[in-house]
Amino acid sequence: MLQKREKVLLLRTFQGRTLRIVREHYLRPSVPCNSPLCPQPAACRNDGKLLSSDVTHYMIPDWKIVQDYLEILEFPELKGIIFMQTACQAVQHQRGRRQYNKLRNLLKDARHDCVLFANEFQQSCYLPRERGESMEKWQSRSIYSAAVWYYHHCQDRMPIVMVTEDEETIQQYGSDTEGVFVVSFKDYLDNFWPDLKAAHELCESILQSRRERENESQESHGKEYAEHLPLEVLEAGIKSGRYIQGILNVNKHRAQTEAFVRLQGASSKDSDLISDILIHGMKARNRSIHGDVVVVELLPKNEWKGRTTALGESDSDDKASGEAPSEPMPTGRVVGILQKNWRDYVVTFPSKEEVQSQGKNAQKILVTPWDYRIPKIRISTQQAEALQDFRVVVRIDSWESTSMYPNGHFVRVLGRIGDLEGEIATILVENSISVAPFSEAQMCEMPVNTPENPWKVSSEEERERKDLRRTHLVFSIDPRGCEDVDDALSVRALDNGSLELGVHIADVTHFVAPHSYIDIEARTRATTYYLADRRYDMLPSILSADVCSLLGGVDRYAVSVMWELDKTSYEIKKVWYGRTIIQSAYKLFYEAAQELLDGNVHVVDDIPEFRDLDEKSRQAKLDELVWAIGKLTDIARHVRAKRDRCGALELEGVEVRVQLDEKKNIHDLIPKQPLEVHETVAECMILANHWVARKIWESFPHQALLRRHPPPHQEFFSELRECAKAKGFFIDTRSNKTLADSLDNANDPNDPIVNKLLRSMATQAMSNALYFSTGSYAEEEFHHYGLALDKYTHFTSPIRRYSDIIVHRLLMAAISKDKKMESKENLFSNKDLEELCRHINNRNRAAQRSQKQSTELFQCMYFKDKDPETEERCISDGVIYSIRTNGVLVFIPRFGIKGAAYLKNKDGLVISCGPDSHCEWKPGSLQRFQDKITSTTTGGESVRFCLFDHVTVRVSVQASRCHSDTIRLEIIRNEPYVVPDAGLCQQGSLLLKSDLVKEVTRSVEEAQLAQEVTVDVIEEDRQKYCQTKGRSLYTLLEEIRDLALLDVSNSYRI
Amino acid sequence: MAGLELLSDQGYRVDGRRAGELRKIQARMGVFAQADGSAYIEQGNTKALAVVYGPHEIRGSRARALPDRALVNCQYSSATFSTGERKRRPHGDRKSCEMGLQLRQTFEAAILTQLHPRSQIDIYVQVLQADGGTYAACVNAATLAVLDAGIPMRDFVCACSAGFVDGTALADLSHVEEAAGGPQLALALLPASGQIALLEMDARLHEDHLEQVLEAAARAARDVHTLLDRVVRQHVKEASILLGD
Repeated sequence: MLQKREKVLLLRTFQGRTLRIVREHYLRPSVPCNSPLCPQPAACRNDGKLLSSDVTHYMIPDWKIVQDYLEILEFPELKGIIFMQTACQAVQHQRGRRQYNKLRNLLKDARHDCVLFANEFQQSCYLPRERGESMEKWQSRSIYSAAVWYYHHCQDRMPIVMVTEDEETIQQYGSDTEGVFVVSFKDYLDNFWPDLKAAHELCESILQSRRERENESQESHGKEYAEHLPLEVLEAGIKSGRYIQGILNVNKHRAQTEAFVRLQGASSKDSDLISDILIHGMKARNRSIHGDVVVVELLPKNEWKGRTTALGESDSDDKASGEAPSEPMPTGRVVGILQKNWRDYVVTFPSKEEVQSQGKNAQKILVTPWDYRIPKIRISTQQAEALQDFRVVVRIDSWESTSMYPNGHFVRVLGRIGDLEGEIATILVENSISVAPFSEAQMCEMPVNTPENPWKVSSEEERERKDLRRTHLVFSIDPRGCEDVDDALSVRALDNGSLELGVHIADVTHFVAPHSYIDIEARTRATTYYLADRRYDMLPSILSADVCSLLGGVDRYAVSVMWELDKTSYEIKKVWYGRTIIQSAYKLFYEAAQELLDGNVHVVDDIPEFRDLDEKSRQAKLDELVWAIGKLTDIARHVRAKRDRCGALELEGVEVRVQLDEKKNIHDLIPKQPLEVHETVAECMILANHWVARKIWESFPHQALLRRHPPPHQEFFSELRECAKAKGFFIDTRSNKTLADSLDNANDPNDPIVNKLLRSMATQAMSNALYFSTGSYAEEEFHHYGLALDKYTHFTSPIRRYSDIIVHRLLMAAISKDKKMESKENLFSNKDLEELCRHINNRNRAAQRSQKQSTELFQCMYFKDKDPETEERCISDGVIYSIRTNGVLVFIPRFGIKGAAYLKNKDGLVISCGPDSHCEWKPGSLQRFQDKITSTTTGGESVRFCLFDHVTVRVSVQASRCHSDTIRLEIIRNEPYVVPDAGLCQQGSLLLKSDLVKEVTRSVEEAQLAQEVTVDVIEEDRQKYCQTKGRSLYTLLEEIRDLALLDVSNSYRI
Repeated sequence: MAGLELLSDQGYRVDGRRAGELRKIQARMGVFAQADGSAYIEQGNTKALAVVYGPHEIRGSRARALPDRALVNCQYSSATFSTGERKRRPHGDRKSCEMGLQLRQTFEAAILTQLHPRSQIDIYVQVLQADGGTYAACVNAATLAVLDAGIPMRDFVCACSAGFVDGTALADLSHVEEAAGGPQLALALLPASGQIALLEMDARLHEDHLEQVLEAAARAARDVHTLLDRVVRQHVKEASILLGD
């Protein structure tokens, strides 16, 4: 009954050898034909679905048609289609599983009038492939012969149309058999379905796209990407101006399509391009990854494209990039990569279901990086299933031009998805922050300070340094409970009637010798990293919290700057820099200092230094201290006023707080009314920084490390101006002075948030302040826009910034140069220093990013367990601060969250408000204006959202497996949120970030506790009663202190 | 490329068979004159040759002799050219040892060994081309060879493999189907009594499906029996014609 035939296949093995394989092939006299016209239905066993009997002809598509035009064949209007097995197999082999499954579903679907005819198993239809016959030829031949058999099988009662794209086939078989017609697909549609417009259109578009694909494949010879050009060609091209060099930046929200190349170095000067170059699509990006230094060729002008402005899937960033309307911008394609910037990537393995859909070949797995901007990476591993629930670090090995995705390998596991420690580790890896504990070799270099063996001032140093221990009243003002004090102040009257102001900074460089292990480690870290709930120190705690920290009552080394000031005008007459030994008399905290300044002496009880004194000496000492603080404040006011007169701006105080607020969402940590003492300390630090900058620049005009803040581009202010105009304010952005003044005036008495938001917008428009080496820039570029100083540097926090350490060394070298002494330290050359600055700037950005990301992580974890529908805390008041085409950006003051709220959801419905101002989704349209957006439903109701409108939003968390979770906002009422319970309003109006962090940490610890409870009861008690495992009160306070001081030092943006 | 579809929606397997259909079986007995019994079988493209010597005296160490029954000694080997890739298979590797052991177990259950105490029966099987179901082909070939040697047996031993794809049991797997990695079950059956001489499976299969797969394998083994029976009768007929009865 079955006939056995043999098929010989030649397969290529993975090693590249050819393998001759013989496969059996069984033929049978009858296979189901599924036609109602079948003369022997019993023999054919037609038990499946039959073709309908009311068709005029049967249509048999060629293998090529099935491959390319399957979408058209899916039209229900087309009836009587017979798919030949040969064609189906061609689809399976050449188009892959997805297309084949579509075809299978089509065949199973009872509504579609189509059947499969297994022609290759039918003994009179099967044609063996002849020697030397091409696959395509044989397929066409088989299909035609099956069509002829089918025609005869139905006793010539039904004409059959075989549709093919191949001209040769049409010619060869066109008039071979009567009743079996061979036509092209276009002719078929024209003749048989002239009215089916949709099919015609689809056919056109498929033809078009195929033509494009063919062109492309001709160019790239079947490869996924074009080859990179050789390095010589690239270099020559860059020199001649044909190619452009730059750094690739992928758009986070449209990582698949949009990337920009920021021009770099010399190439930007010669070419007249101002803006970035758009790289559209993965093909044009040509295997370059975010951060690579690439070489770009510009496309001709008619192929330029514009960028997209709508809110993307996860648009929560508030960079005003989307503002430009989508007018074409320079567009190019990558022709080569000069420097690959691959790092370790955190990825997530696909879940079990996804693995199955990726096919049986499960050793190669596509993993999704945490960073949206990185393409998927193909990993070869057997442990995919075991790694499913973990965040994993991988490295990219290669990216061949024939491969869609880069190849990589597995490195290590970080932790479970959603687990706090795992997610924090993810943030660290993604920002390339390495926080391994300090090694033994590094710790060996550290001084010792234990109760048995206390650290002492050496006599050698005593001779070298100026001793201020007995002559000066030195004190520090810091947040309560702070341990690493890196600055102290002093002020005293000199015998000649002048005043002497001193700023004393911890002498870290004394302990950290250049090129020592600890120096190298600190240079790599470059800064102390502050995450939402923890910090990673730049220096070991023995230095940062002990021997370098200017604690009260102990001798410490310091680097001091002392000015001699005129008694009344406070003009600076003389300045002295040098190494000193100091003993801080008081370690004050801000609030106490402020009280003293205000004359409330009752705070004395809070100051430990006064506790043991008898009444008399106490009074004397107190008077001395109060006088010093008062004088200091006076001087600071004066210096500040002088800076203002010189055309400086008064941005810093308030502005910085707001900037911090926007950047780090921590506004609630800072007192609403900043104390004057804050500003006093800040002003002194700025003064010291400024004078040190002058000093080192004078001594080393080509290799000093300074900090500059370039003036912002005026065009970036346009959004700010527009927004202010909406509220009726005018912002003059011509200079820093006018900007500061107009920002001060732009104050809505009813809504203090407006001013905050405007200030944050102003900050957004400005560029970041950067470290640089003086040899690399012209002198007029040194200017610090925000502080309105011609030279500025960082000198006052060497414990937590490496730049300050460099500046300290420079200052010491400058002093010894003055004394005509041989400098001990070999300083960095301009080139090395510039390289180092780039590194420090990079690390600072990473520190800011990781802080932001960890804060967002905590916000998400905070809201994650709350049910947004029921939990009262998830509903809050929000302010609209930016308008986009399909939504608005909202700021929630209570939580310090910024995010996007959509006015049009995924189903295309728009928001509308009922009479009770509750919002719901209805069909309609959106109309966007400069300062408002109107949503109109088809019913004619419309609702308008203006800038700075208060709305009620519901906060929820959008969970994401592969990436970080994101906060989602949903507008539920278009009027301000009214707290239902008045009592709750007072106590819960502000949720401190620290509280948020605490709560999340506690819940994590509780979860841990719950796991461990059975294991060890004692352990549980310890955790319960000591409860500071992992985080101490110190870290929390430390954080607060740091944030308060940030405005003068750390991430000083202005 | 997408993975191979082992069973299409229309119920066809890769080579055009339906789920329960066997591959083409061709067999011949008495292919060698020197041996006591010999047979050659083709199941599809799997080709195996079996020769039987004995019963004869114990060769080698006399200590191996069993006082109450005959010793069945089976050796399996496969030709270097038997698979797609040419590969030298040393004598006594793990796979052939295991196969020899399985064959021995199978035939100790079928041959009436107690009729020949203190003697030995040698069965040598060689696979010339392996295209799936080698164990089954070996058993079937050896059965014919034992019959050819005239050694008394309880019954034919008929073997067949079966697999399980998409909820359907497939009989007589080819190499392509085996290589796809699904469960595979080998069954040696004494068809008259329905007793199982050997059942072997080393993949995971849900208990609920075992019945179905076993049923498919048993049915296929009975089909094999029909064919082998025909071959034996044909052979006997030819032999008797030659003898001139």
